Amino acid sequence: MAPVSFNNVAKTFGSTEVIRGISFDIRDGEFMVLVGPSGCGKSTLLRMLAGLEEITAGTIAIDGRVVNHVDSKDRDIAMVFQSYALYPHMSVRDNMGFSLRLRRAERSEIDARVMRAARILNLEPYLDRYPRELSGGQRQRVAMGRAIVRDPKVFLFDEPLSNLDAKLRVQMRSEIKALHQRLKTTTVYVTHDQIEAMTMADRIVVMHDGAIEQIGTPLELYDRPDNLFVAQFIGSPAMNVVRGTLRRTGGAAHVETADGVRWPAGSGGVDGQGVAYGVRPDHLELVGGGEPAVPGEIVVVEPTGSETELVVRIGDAQIIVETHGRTTLQPGDTVGFAIDPANVHLFDQASGARLAP
Amino acid sequence: MKRLLTEARLVLIGIPVAIWTLLPIYHMFLFSISTKEEAFSGELWPAHPTLRNFGIVFREQNYFLNHFWRQFANSLLIAVAVGAITLVVAAGAAFSISRLRTRGGRLVLNCALFTYFIPAAFLAVPMYKAMGTYGLLNTQWALILAMVTIASPYAIWVLKQASDKLPWELDEAARIDGASPLQLFRLVYLPLIAPSLVAVGTYALLLAWNEYLYAFLLLSNDKDITLPVALGHFLSADDSPWELLMTTGLIYALPPAAIYYAFKRYMVTGLTAGAVKS
Repeated sequence: MAPVSFNNVAKTFGSTEVIRGISFDIRDGEFMVLVGPSGCGKSTLLRMLAGLEEITAGTIAIDGRVVNHVDSKDRDIAMVFQSYALYPHMSVRDNMGFSLRLRRAERSEIDARVMRAARILNLEPYLDRYPRELSGGQRQRVAMGRAIVRDPKVFLFDEPLSNLDAKLRVQMRSEIKALHQRLKTTTVYVTHDQIEAMTMADRIVVMHDGAIEQIGTPLELYDRPDNLFVAQFIGSPAMNVVRGTLRRTGGAAHVETADGVRWPAGSGGVDGQGVAYGVRPDHLELVGGGEPAVPGEIVVVEPTGSETELVVRIGDAQIIVETHGRTTLQPGDTVGFAIDPANVHLFDQASGARLAP
Repeated sequence: MKRLLTEARLVLIGIPVAIWTLLPIYHMFLFSISTKEEAFSGELWPAHPTLRNFGIVFREQNYFLNHFWRQFANSLLIAVAVGAITLVVAAGAAFSISRLRTRGGRLVLNCALFTYFIPAAFLAVPMYKAMGTYGLLNTQWALILAMVTIASPYAIWVLKQASDKLPWELDEAARIDGASPLQLFRLVYLPLIAPSLVAVGTYALLLAWNEYLYAFLLLSNDKDITLPVALGHFLSADDSPWELLMTTGLIYALPPAAIYYAFKRYMVTGLTAGAVKS
C-alpha cells in the first residue's frame, strides 16, 4: 500500500506530445480510475507508472520515492493487462508463482501464497490447468491472481475487462471492486468505459488529449462537471446539450436556442452570453402541455423494462429523456417537460468551461 | 461431381510427381538388394534379392568402406554440432533483434541474409582460406563452423519471424514480474518458440548431414571425413562397386527420413511460421 504522485509528468513520442504536464496524487489505498476516449494518453500514463515507458519530463513517485529511473521489477507494482498476458506454457499455478520464483522465494512460500490468492479468486480447481484451457473470465482472474500473489504496493489495471463479453464484464467489475475492498491496495485502473469508471472508482481522472479535464468522485463528476467535455463523457445516456444565448431578466433566466425554444436556466453566466446548455436525461420531467413546460414531440420509445428511454424532438434538437417505469406514449405524441433550473449545467460556448454555480 | 473432378485432377498430377520423386529412391533400393551382376540387368525386381550388401557395409568389408562406422559417426557428430550451435546463435540473435530491439539488429539480419545472394560454392574458396588462416583446416571444427555460417542467416530469419508473433505483453508482464533479459529468454521466450527451434535445428542438422562440397574441401583425412565425401571416393575407381555405393547411400538417407518423420509436425508449422501474416 502506498500513495502515488504525478508531478508535471510529460511524454513525447518524437515530436508528438502525448502527455502534457500532468500532476495529481493518488491516496494510499485509493481506487483511482483513469478514463478518457482512446488516444487520450491514459494507457501511456499507466505504462509510465509501470516503468514500461520512459518519462520524458516530470516525476512519478510511489510511496514517496521517485521512480523515474527505477526498473519495473523494483517498483513493487503488479499489472493486469488487457490481453491477460498469461504465459501460455505455464500452468495457472506457475503463472501465479512466476514472480516469486524469479525472486527466489522458498517453494513452500510460493505454494502458500499461490493457494491464498487462488482461494480469494476461486481458482483452486484450475491451478493445474493451462491458460488455453480456461475461459476468458478465468484467465482474467488468473491475471489478477498473478498480481495479488506479489502483494505489491500498487495494482495497475490496463483495460482489463475489454476482452470479456458484456455479462462477464459486469460480474468481473464487481469482483475487482470486492477484491479492492478486501485488500485495500492502492489501485490505478485504466478504462475507456465511463460506466466502469463510475461504478468502480473512489475517484476518477478524466483525461482528454494528454491533459486532465477533471478529477473527482464519480458523483462529483456527474453532478458538477467542470467543463463540457466531462459533462458529455460521464453519464449514460449522455447529457443533452443544446447551444443558445443566455437571457437573464430579473430573477429568472433561460437559454434561447436558434429555433426559438426557451430552456429554463439557473444562475451563472451573464445576459447575452453564448452558452452550451446541458441537462441530463433523467432531469427532464414529463408534465402536461402548458407553460412553463418545454414542448416536444416523441420520436422513439425504447422500453428497457425498469425504465423507458424517449427520444424527443424539442425544436431542432433531438433530446434523450429517461423516465422511470413504463409509458403509454407513442411516437408522434406531443408532450411537455419541466426542467428544474437547479439541475441545469451551463458552459461557456467558446471555452466549454462551467459557468457558476 | 465437381469435387470428383478436382480430385481426379489432383491424382493425375500426384501420380507422376510421386513416380518422379520415388523412382531414383526405388532405383537405389533396387541396387542395394541386388548382387553386382544383377544390378545392371534392368529388371524391375532382382531375381535373387539379397541383404548381403548391407552385411558388407556394416562389417566394413570393402576397401572403400574401411572407415564406414567412423565416417558415419563423423557425419552424426558434425550434424548434431551444427544443429546445436546454429540454434544457440540463431535463438540469441533472433531474441535480441526481435524482443530486445537491439540497435542495428535489422541491419545485421539483412547483411546475414545478403550472403544468400552469393552461391555457397563461390564462398567455398574464401571459407577455405579463412579456415586456413585460423589453422582449422583438416579439423572437423572447420566444417562445423562453415556449416553454422551457412545455416545461421536463414535460421535467424525464421526464428525472428516466429519471435515477432509473440505478444509484447508477455515480455512486459515478465519484466514487471521481475525477469531479467536472460530469464525472459530462458523461461518465457525459448519455451514459446520451441516448435520453431525444432524446425530450425532440424534444418541445420540436415543441411550439415547432406553437405558434400564443404566437407570435401575442408576435410581430407580418411578418418575425419563425413560419409558423403567417402561415397564420392567410390567414383574414383574405374570399377566402382555400385551396389555398395547405393546401399551405403540408402543407409545414409534413413536418419534424415526418420528425423523428418519424427518432427514433421514442427517442420511444417515452424518453417511456414512468419511466411504469411496470420
